[in-house]
Amino acid sequence: MIRSHLLFLLLVVGLILSTAALAEDHGDHEESVVLSESVIKEFGIELATAGPGTVSRWVSLPAEVRPNRDRLAHIAPRFPGLAIEVRAEIGDIVKAGDTLAVIEASQSLAPYSLKTLIDGVVIEKHVTRGEPVSQERGALFTVADLRDVWIDLSVYQKHLSELAIGQRVRISAGHDLDEAGGTISYVAPIINEETRTATARVIIANPDGVWRPGMFVIARVEVQQVDAAVVAPISAIQRVEGKDVVFVRDEDKFVPRPVTRGREGEDSIEILDGISTGDVFVTKGAFTLKSELARGELAGGHGH
Amino acid sequence: MQRIIDFALASRLLLIGLGCLIAAAGYRSYQQLPIDAFPDVSPNLVQIFTVTEGLSPEDVEKYVTYPVETAMNGLPGLERVRSVSNFGLSVVNVYFYDDVDIYFARQIVNERLQEAREQIPEGFGDPAMGPISTGMGLVLFYYLEDTTDRYSLTELRTIQDWLVKFHLQTVPGVTEVLGIGGYEKQFQVRVHPENLLRYDITIAQVIDRIRENNLNVGAQFLERNSEEYVVRSVGLASDVDDLENVVVKSQDGTPVFLHEIADVEIGGAIRRGVQTRNGISEVVAGMVVKLFGTNSSTVIGEVEAKLSEINVILPEGLRLVPYYEQKTLVEACVRTVQSALIQGIVLVAIVLMVFMGALRPSIVVALSIPFSVLFATLGMGWFGLSANLMSFGGLAIAIGMMVDGTIVMVENVDRHLRQARPEEPNTQVIARACGEVARPIVFAISIIVIVFLPLFTLEGVEGKTFRPLAYTVALAMAGSLLFAIVLAPIASDLLLRRPRGDAKEVWIVRRLVAWYEPLVSYFVRRRGVAALCALGLLAVGAIAFPFLGSEFTPRLQEGTIVVRLSMAPSISLRESTRVTQIVERRLMNVPEINGVVTRIGRGEVGAHTDPINSAEMYVLLQPQSEWRSASTQEELERVIRDELGEVPGALVNFTQPIAMTVDELLEGVRAELAVKIFGDDLDVLADTAAEVAQVVRGVNGAADVQVDQVAGAPQLVIRVDRQAVARYGLNVAEVQRTIRAAIGGETAGEIFEGIQRFPIYVRFAPEYRNSTRAISNLLVAAAGGARVPLSELATIEEIVGPRQITRENNQRFITVQCNVLDRDIGSFVAEAQAAIDSTIKLPPGYLVSWGGQFRLQQEANRRLSIVVPLTLLIVFLMLYSSFQSVRSASLILLNIPLALVGGVVALALSGQDLSVPASVGFIALLGIALENGMVLVTYLNQLTSDGVPIEEASVRGACLRLRPVLMTAATTALGLFPLLFSTGTGSEVQRPLATVVVGGLASSTVLTLLVVPALYAWFVPSATSSVERTP
Repeated sequence: MIRSHLLFLLLVVGLILSTAALAEDHGDHEESVVLSESVIKEFGIELATAGPGTVSRWVSLPAEVRPNRDRLAHIAPRFPGLAIEVRAEIGDIVKAGDTLAVIEASQSLAPYSLKTLIDGVVIEKHVTRGEPVSQERGALFTVADLRDVWIDLSVYQKHLSELAIGQRVRISAGHDLDEAGGTISYVAPIINEETRTATARVIIANPDGVWRPGMFVIARVEVQQVDAAVVAPISAIQRVEGKDVVFVRDEDKFVPRPVTRGREGEDSIEILDGISTGDVFVTKGAFTLKSELARGELAGGHGH
Repeated sequence: MQRIIDFALASRLLLIGLGCLIAAAGYRSYQQLPIDAFPDVSPNLVQIFTVTEGLSPEDVEKYVTYPVETAMNGLPGLERVRSVSNFGLSVVNVYFYDDVDIYFARQIVNERLQEAREQIPEGFGDPAMGPISTGMGLVLFYYLEDTTDRYSLTELRTIQDWLVKFHLQTVPGVTEVLGIGGYEKQFQVRVHPENLLRYDITIAQVIDRIRENNLNVGAQFLERNSEEYVVRSVGLASDVDDLENVVVKSQDGTPVFLHEIADVEIGGAIRRGVQTRNGISEVVAGMVVKLFGTNSSTVIGEVEAKLSEINVILPEGLRLVPYYEQKTLVEACVRTVQSALIQGIVLVAIVLMVFMGALRPSIVVALSIPFSVLFATLGMGWFGLSANLMSFGGLAIAIGMMVDGTIVMVENVDRHLRQARPEEPNTQVIARACGEVARPIVFAISIIVIVFLPLFTLEGVEGKTFRPLAYTVALAMAGSLLFAIVLAPIASDLLLRRPRGDAKEVWIVRRLVAWYEPLVSYFVRRRGVAALCALGLLAVGAIAFPFLGSEFTPRLQEGTIVVRLSMAPSISLRESTRVTQIVERRLMNVPEINGVVTRIGRGEVGAHTDPINSAEMYVLLQPQSEWRSASTQEELERVIRDELGEVPGALVNFTQPIAMTVDELLEGVRAELAVKIFGDDLDVLADTAAEVAQVVRGVNGAADVQVDQVAGAPQLVIRVDRQAVARYGLNVAEVQRTIRAAIGGETAGEIFEGIQRFPIYVRFAPEYRNSTRAISNLLVAAAGGARVPLSELATIEEIVGPRQITRENNQRFITVQCNVLDRDIGSFVAEAQAAIDSTIKLPPGYLVSWGGQFRLQQEANRRLSIVVPLTLLIVFLMLYSSFQSVRSASLILLNIPLALVGGVVALALSGQDLSVPASVGFIALLGIALENGMVLVTYLNQLTSDGVPIEEASVRGACLRLRPVLMTAATTALGLFPLLFSTGTGSEVQRPLATVVVGGLASSTVLTLLVVPALYAWFVPSATSSVERTP
């Protein structure tokens, strides 16, 4: 009996206390996180001052190394005849005027020299000694000048709108090959019906011959490069309650500031609205603040 | 009665032999008793785990949990089904009633699992039952220490899984060894999608090719020269080289090898758990799970022996270090109870010596202790009880009571011997003396046993906790009765001598009687004063009672502190590891802390199912004697709490290993109080839970209030656009296969290294799948050689989804949990309930229910409120049948309130709560108080029926009975003293009990001696109905 009376009393007191506590909670409810300097250091939270920067975005596309068609020469016999001597082999480096083969003309039975038209490397050879040759049978040699090569990029439909002549491209082949750079010099006006891709082209220098035609490479195209008034690293942006926020330092507090995303780069992003130049904001460790904010909400009322 | 005693005295040799036999059997049984720390209170359950790699909680619920759950419906003996669907893991707990045999339960669950398996789509995991164990089954945790720093985490894990685990699993009584930490070794094929493009291969083809190129076949045998040669073709890949040279495609006679399209290397599997140590390193650890029903101490002992064997065969520089052992706790509990037992026995012996003033009668009385204890252990063996804190605690409690029967017996013999005529033979005097008190002794001890009956009716956790205690007390009392009636007369006959010449009492008794006689005469003359005193005391008790708080069972200090960190539900394993290590470093600043070993998330499935945002830090402490900033575990927890301070983004909880596991099995909650909100919509549930949490937080005494983090796990949802898929001549399955293989990865067979086997895991190289943009650029092979980026075929969207879905009895629910500090749970719940009812409007179809320890207490209270009055009725009927007088029976019952007063006051003074152990104390107190009253009233009745005037009878009887009453009270109280002052492990549970009994004994003894004689006149039975006869 006495017990239940006491319970009742406790209940009443508790109720009063709890409603009072709730009322108070609602009163000074403010979304911010306070962290001491030592905690900031301990949790590896890094800060930066907002300011202008460049936002760039890259697209990776599969590509293939091809010989530069503008620096290619097909060497064909002028008169039909027999190849009585073949001097060049695939891979031979030749100078313009070098004799590649000697043909004995069928009509005159006089030998004449088949000479290369350009400096370059023999990349194709379709003749063996004693073989009859003629114009109809086509070129006997292909000589390519590989001091520069074409990189043909396969561009998917979705990227076509972003690609433009003059954009910077980084070419990499993996397998410990150094990267090469260039710019887009050509975008094909039509799309391959089979692969549904268009060709874009980059011409790169190939003084050492490391870019061998036929090689499969990856081309990263900088499809966007803009100077923006305020740029933040992508790691600074956290999603809180469905909104993008950046934590801005206000004296000892960190306040989540909703921001509007601008153009997005690889690891940085343009901030259109929300923080302005001079604001000190969290670049690394923003997640800690976000989860602390969520915990604070759990512990201090949700503001319903 | 007399006949039994005569028979005993006549055939003493036979009976002594039998007595020795019982004692010997008891000792043997004692040696074979399984030893545990506490009684195992885990519910009777079968756990069903289904690992479904990479599936989201909603899909796990839909495809796995639901079929398993529904298959379990309607099983015989089923209590309820609860489930948790997590990312990639479904856990269904099937609870059975306690009387269902666990192996039978597993068998019927297994039968139903077959049905469930058919309902689960192919490739969505295979449900399997958890280890045959209980909440106390995690007996030993160890980690693998690498002193050389030469081994990678993958190598360490391989050593754990294939060497340590294999050996440990051979230890009898070990049902499972679960590894966690480091990386599970895997042969990873990291495919570069541009190479697939180059050679025009799809990832699905790659997987198929790897499977096909990794087989052994048998081709029967070859007969040659009368011998048979078994023919086998070895095509198994055995290392990275073999894999690299798998031919994926052949183009114009040129083979395309796997290494041309992918990097093949040994790496770590995707993991959902990490084990860290001291804030500086990751470690590989293991947990030893004990088989259900085996002896903890034996199993741990053998596991330890095996550990040191394994240490020898481990590579140089590696060592297994146990960091949690239940053995420590078992030993501490055993030590606590043992020392209480021994101290109790010593104290009782001293009391005997003082009051009997002679060695011989003391020996007779003291003999009843070992006999009763051994009788009890014999019974424990018979009933299959384990030796643990509670069952041996029962013995410690009963020590003082075990001697009571024999004390009364021997005291009477002693007195009769002093007064007997010299010519009467000893045996005859003893027979007469024993016969005189035999009947009341039988009744008194029977009543003590009967008052413990309510404890036998307890169910669930409280039943499992306290039933062993009731058993041992009842058994010990039965043993003491046997001794008192049968063996005590024989022992008296053998040992007791007639006092020579001087037949006076021991000086101390004489002195006491000298003080007591005037006092009791005064009260007998002024009954009103006596009655008033009694009423006054009752009033004191009534005033003190409301000040008692209530709680279920005081928290047992396990001697191991676990700090639990709960981080944001969306956290990544890498980040939660980083935060955990920061907290570990903070913990290391506490001088009492030697080390911290933390488990984040879960390792091998079987014991823990925690998500990766949850970390359990085992704090390794210095021995208590070296603590400087705190003297008790509770104080130290406060120190640690202060040192930890606030951890940004994380909630900190304190708990203990066994309590944590058992609580989780019970309610799925690790706090004292759990509010469950049932309903269908996860968002509504989450909102309601947040409101409930807010209200509960406002209630005074609320601590560690937490809402189950059910939501808040970000998801990247790829919705396949059926029209787009159709345009490219694809179908959804092809797109999804690419998504799964490219992003999630797919196992393409195994590599065998001896008996060790490691999966071959095919997946895109990280840079092609580690961002939304990369994923949207994934290429799907379409008909006619076209490659289509995923973003053309599907919409990709980031949403926040559920982190886990909990269900009970086929309904979703969410839990708000809370601990209660500096306050009793009972009143806290009442207050919180009222606050919630008044402030929160629940949507239709939603339900709030309260659980946790509080629920158990309510159940216990409800049952006790029926059983206790019933017991009292039985006691009254027994008293009535003994005295054939309502008055006498009533007078004896009057002792009860007087005894309770002392118990209540003692609790209030010592600042303890009214807990279940305290209630058990009150129950024991009832029996003892009744016993005291009986001894006195029987004698008073005898005197009055002999014609002595009532007043004179009251005074004389009281003085004569002073010695036995004081002796029984003093032995019982002193027998409990060690428990009262013990600070050892487990003493928290025993202390309230001892406090109540000692306090109650004090008040009841004083009142028995003063008030009962005084009030006797009012309750004296009418002369005709006096029955007490001595035939």
